[in-house]
Parts: sequence; C-alpha cells; structure tokens
Amino acid sequence: MLQLNDFDLSYPGYPPLARVNWTVQSGERIALLGRSGVGKSTLLRAIVHAETHPCIQVQSHQVAYLSQQPALLPWRSVLDNVLLGVHLRGERVLPQLTERAQSLLTQVGLTGLGSRPIGTLSGGQKARVALARVLFEEAELVLLDEPFAGLDRSTRIQMADLCAALLSTQTVILVTHDPRDASDWLDQAMVLSETSLHGPYQLQAFDSDRSLIEALEGAL
Amino acid sequence: MQTARQALIYTVMLLLGWKALVWFFQIPHFILPSPERVLMTLVTRSEQLIHHGSTTFAEIIAGLILGAVLGFLTACVLSLSSRLQRAAMPLLVISQALPVFALAPILMLWLGYGFASKLAMTTLIVYFPVTAATLSGFRVCPESWEDTFHTLHARPWPLFWQVRIPMALPHALSGLRIAASVAPIGAVVGEWMGSSSGLGYLMLHANGRGQTDLMFAALVVLCLEAVIVWSVVNRLSHRLDHLNPNVSVT
Repeated sequence: MLQLNDFDLSYPGYPPLARVNWTVQSGERIALLGRSGVGKSTLLRAIVHAETHPCIQVQSHQVAYLSQQPALLPWRSVLDNVLLGVHLRGERVLPQLTERAQSLLTQVGLTGLGSRPIGTLSGGQKARVALARVLFEEAELVLLDEPFAGLDRSTRIQMADLCAALLSTQTVILVTHDPRDASDWLDQAMVLSETSLHGPYQLQAFDSDRSLIEALEGAL
Repeated sequence: MQTARQALIYTVMLLLGWKALVWFFQIPHFILPSPERVLMTLVTRSEQLIHHGSTTFAEIIAGLILGAVLGFLTACVLSLSSRLQRAAMPLLVISQALPVFALAPILMLWLGYGFASKLAMTTLIVYFPVTAATLSGFRVCPESWEDTFHTLHARPWPLFWQVRIPMALPHALSGLRIAASVAPIGAVVGEWMGSSSGLGYLMLHANGRGQTDLMFAALVVLCLEAVIVWSVVNRLSHRLDHLNPNVSVT
C-alpha cells in the first residue's frame, strides 16, 4: 500500500532528521509515535503529497487525511461538510450521495444534525463530522494526524471506539502522542526518532507512561 | 448599550473640557468658539449643513463602494498568481504612498471640479486597505486544510468560489473598516481643491469669512458622517465573523 525508500525528513537549515525506510501493507493499522519535532506530521504530509516525492510510492488514488484542525467550513452545514469532496470536485450532489452522507452521519452518532451549521457543534461532534467525511470518500489509506488532540478523555475514547468500528477495512496510520488513543483499535506502533524509524512494536508495550518514555528514549 | 453610554460620557467630558478651556483662557470666538455657539450654528445653519453634508456623504459612500469593489476584485485576481502578486504589489504600495493631496490637482485636471474627481479621490484612498486586507484573507487557509483539499481532489474554481472567497470576506471587511475611517479625507480634500458643494467647500467658504463657528459645525457634521459609515461597516463586518474558521458560535 505504501513504501518510503530513504525518505529524508530534514529541512534545509535545520538540524538533520531521520531518513525513513518504511513499507506498510494493505490493511495494516499503525500508530506512529515520537517526540514533538521529529517529523511525524511532516512524514504524513509528505505521504499526502506523494506525487511530488519520487521516493514515496502510494498504491492508492484514494487517500484521506484528517488533522487536529479538520477542514470543516463553518459557513456550510454538517451535511455539506460531509459532501465537501463532491462540492470541491465540482460534481453534482445526487440524491443517493446525500442519502449515503446522512447514513454515515447516523453511523457516527449525529442523526438529525445534517442541517446544523458547523459552528454550533462541539469539538467532539466536529471530529465525528470529519470522520464521516473520511468514510464518505471511501479512502483505502487513511492518515490521521492527532485527530483527537483537542478532545477530553471520554470523547477520545468514544472516537477511538468509532474508528475501531468504522475503519476496520482501511489501511490506517495514526500520528499520536498518546498510545492510549491507539491501543484498542490499532495493530502495532512505529516510533520515529531524530535518526530513524523504529518498530514495529506491540501497542500493549506502551501500557504505562513510563514504558512509553523508555521506548522513546530507547529509540533515540 | 454599554459602548453607547461610554461614548456619551466621553463626549460630555470633551465638551466640558472644551468649554472650560474657552472660559478659562477667554479665547475669542473667531479663534475657538464655545461648544454652545457651535451647537447654535448647527441649529441655525442646519439647512446649509444638510445640503453640503449630503454631498460629502454621497461622495464617501460612492467612493467606499467603488473602492471596496475594485479592491476586492484586484485581490481576487492577484490571489490567482503569486508572480502577478509580486509584480503588482510595488505599484499598489506606490499608489498608497503618494499623498492624495499630490494627486488631487491631476485628478481635477482629468475629471473636472464635479462629483467624479471627489469620487476618484475617495476610491483611491479606500482601494489599498481593501486590496491588502483581502489579499491577506486569501492566505489564511491552514496548511492542514490545504492538505485535506488535496486529498479530496478539489478543483481550482470550486475551491476558489466555495472556500477562498468566503474565507477572504471577513478580511476584506476588516480592510473596509479601516478604509471607512479614512474615506472622508479623500472627499474633503477633493472639495478643498475645487468644488461648489460639500463640507470641505463649506469649511473653506466659512474660513474666508472668519466664521469659525460654521467651520466647527461642518467638522461636527463630518465627524457624525464618519461615525455612521464606520458603524455600519463595523456591524456588517461582525455579521461575517462566522466565516472565520477560528471563530466558534457555540
């Protein structure tokens, strides 16, 4: 599904970062851990723009990207935000597409909120709308860049449960600082350091904060 | 309501300070008339003030609308090409750096002493703040949003109409809010250079006859017009706050 061959995360003029060699098989669900500033988000963004990086190969045209600040247009309704891809590709919004979007909103627990403006939703509800859009686009590779970072603990657990239920067939890479966001639904973890990408690790290995610190320090 | 009360308190304090200054230093009325003398002039010369005030108000409003439309369209065009932006920005900065006083005689020569030259001056003064602010509105889209639009295979025109323009609108109105406070300068300078109507003309006329109280009355009307225009634009600007991705109405 995804292959990175000696991809250099360094920025010119900044301290050097890791060169990444990584192969992700179709259907794998991986948490990408690492300290702030090691290039986790840069790596994900590079995958999004794979066509501009010769050393990154993505075997799917359908890639979904969800960040901590999801692209939800506050002047459009919840339903229109789920259908944003259709609108921005200049395609016609057919009744069956609207029906499917409504059904996905039901699946993420937002029944009847389709006509509400985005600005009136809570942070947790906005995350659900963004997840519904990811599902609507039927992407094969889903890239999640700390999508639960601004949410409280109970909402994060709910979101992880939803992801576990609804992203069961896709290939998923989740960037997170907190392995607890991933342990219930992802298969394994990779740890990115300043020098290289380590792993795979079993997520159960990071059951305590101490074990995570040890893993990160061991990776450095 | 709170703001209106505060504004009233400050106005009363200013008037009291003004009155005290005139009374304490015994300033003659042809140098600085007392507030009640200006108030009396506002009442007795109201017909004349309304006539000239409406000319200036029309110039301000027309210049504001034309400057806003031209500024917004310019920013839309410039946003489509960074090369065009780099080429045009120095010209835009120059257009703003040239004092409107310096351009006034040329505009008079080209457009005559009527409404058109004042409209051109007001438009010119409004144009740059709106262009610059709108252009910055085209650059506020978060990087992560751009990445999402990329994965959604967004096409340029739907993206422009459905995302870029709505995101730029609150910024355009912020620029218009700044422009609204300086627009009266364009109109009045134009009237000073040559006209037969407007508050600038009335001020010059009163100055030539030593009617300082009428000059102050014209200034009061000009201030009122500026406050009205600014308040309307400010209210409009707040109505578009919901287009800002960082503002939540929860």
